[in-house]
Amino acid sequence: MFSRRMVTIIALAATLGMALSLAGVAHAFDEAKYPDLSGQWHRIGPDRFDGGTNRDAPLTPEYRAIYEKVRKNEAGNMIADPMLSCQAPGMPRVMMAYAPMEIIVTADTAHILIENIHDSRRIHTDGRPWPGEVDPSFRGLSIGQWQDTDGDGRFDTLIAETRHFQGPRYFDGSGLPLHQDNNTVIRERIFLDKSNPDVLVNEITVTDSALTRPWTVTKTYRRDRTPVAMHRESVCADHSSHVAIGEEMYVVGPDGNLAPTRPGQPAPDLRYFPR
Amino acid sequence: MLFQRSANTVALAAALCAACTVAFADDSKYPEWRGQWRRPPGIGIQWDPTKALGPPQQAPLTPEYQKVFEASMADQRAGGQGGDPTYTCIPPGMPRAMTVVFPMDIIILPEATYIIIEYSNQVRRIYTDGRDWPKDAEPAFLGYSVGKWVDEDGDGKYDVLEVETRGMKGPRSFDASGLPLHVDNDTVVKERIYLDKSNRDVLIDEVTTLDKALTRPWTVTKKYVREKKNVIWFEYNCTENNRHVQIGKDNYYVSADGFLMPVRKGQGPPDLKYFKDAQQ
Repeated sequence: MFSRRMVTIIALAATLGMALSLAGVAHAFDEAKYPDLSGQWHRIGPDRFDGGTNRDAPLTPEYRAIYEKVRKNEAGNMIADPMLSCQAPGMPRVMMAYAPMEIIVTADTAHILIENIHDSRRIHTDGRPWPGEVDPSFRGLSIGQWQDTDGDGRFDTLIAETRHFQGPRYFDGSGLPLHQDNNTVIRERIFLDKSNPDVLVNEITVTDSALTRPWTVTKTYRRDRTPVAMHRESVCADHSSHVAIGEEMYVVGPDGNLAPTRPGQPAPDLRYFPR
Repeated sequence: MLFQRSANTVALAAALCAACTVAFADDSKYPEWRGQWRRPPGIGIQWDPTKALGPPQQAPLTPEYQKVFEASMADQRAGGQGGDPTYTCIPPGMPRAMTVVFPMDIIILPEATYIIIEYSNQVRRIYTDGRDWPKDAEPAFLGYSVGKWVDEDGDGKYDVLEVETRGMKGPRSFDASGLPLHVDNDTVVKERIYLDKSNRDVLIDEVTTLDKALTRPWTVTKKYVREKKNVIWFEYNCTENNRHVQIGKDNYYVSADGFLMPVRKGQGPPDLKYFKDAQQ
């Protein structure tokens, strides 16, 4: 029987980080200042971004039309969900927590580890400014700050802002789109439910050109304190049977042959094979 | 200007949940491994970094697996991928993960040491809480790692992390040449990880692999250099822009203009019997 995870992680003087660590100075730390986020966190609710039907998503008319087009083809053309071909979901979709989420808090970083495709994140809490140039990525660059909102001398809320994305990204598997300009800005407030510390709350506000206004949804996660015998490895490429060729998504059947994913789907063009 | 990773990833509480006792670890007992670790400049991604990729590795392969290796290289010369399974974005697994194609960071907790490697999104968890081997662990490319901290020089501080990893799944190879591991996946990997005493910004991993594809345990020494200043973590998604596709047992390529194409001379197209238009 394995020990349950009881670890809270601790910290140094984050704001002094660079100068002091360069000097190799050992720091005192105050682990009691950080919330206990140990354990594995499981999403509460269905795997839609708003936890329901996305009916109230404030899409612009242009992106509403794109979404409706995708939804009509939802049963067939699955190219709209990049995860099927093992593409990273990116932010904010990773916070859907498709696999149990683990949060490790250090003085300079909050690591969010999710064994899905490429969903693990680093939220930098070392006081760094936004850098001038950033390579865009699916998960973006996240900069955060711990706050003591109730003044009890302990941090209780992690505020994070994430920018610098690449796409394509969708809010969830329904094909609800983010704008292709990838100028998304995501702000999060992450904290434990005061009435139940085994519930983690993430208030996510997405500002995106595909939306008429910032859209805030609240996601919640349930803590599992059961000792983890093994953190399960998830390798999408090891079990995915989908194959993207050009603009079409196909599936490889159990017999190893390529098959369509919707009625009437054209076969791949074999022009590069000798006749 | 970005801050370097300045946290001392420290520790608290611990194992002992049977009694639900929270024990505080003494952070001064653990080595300081924070920062971003990379392969040293000029070091490639071959398994033994002191030798060139391919036959110069002089891997102690059994005759049977020497033939497997030669077949892999022959296939690669013909345009195929040989025995390197990572072209479809299968992660390298252990021990190849420790080639650290892209940077890693290490978080030390009393109960486990996390090695987070950007390449293929691999997160190794080396359990150091004294646990025994699980009876029915699900096989994984990274396997199941149990470790122990050792104070070798008796100065009251841990300096070496000894690790044993079992429970692997395949396919795996030592490196991109397709240098093979046995298909039975009964590999055992033993590591000794520690800082170079003459340069604390160099991390050393002595990796010994025991595998039935080998005639004897094979030890190579990997080194990593620490980046402290202006650390930037870039994102690497294997599946992004990966043009290789696997259909049945065959590897194909998707051209830049989005069409399926062969990877080797004379390769035929896939069977399209499930497509009506292809039957006409």
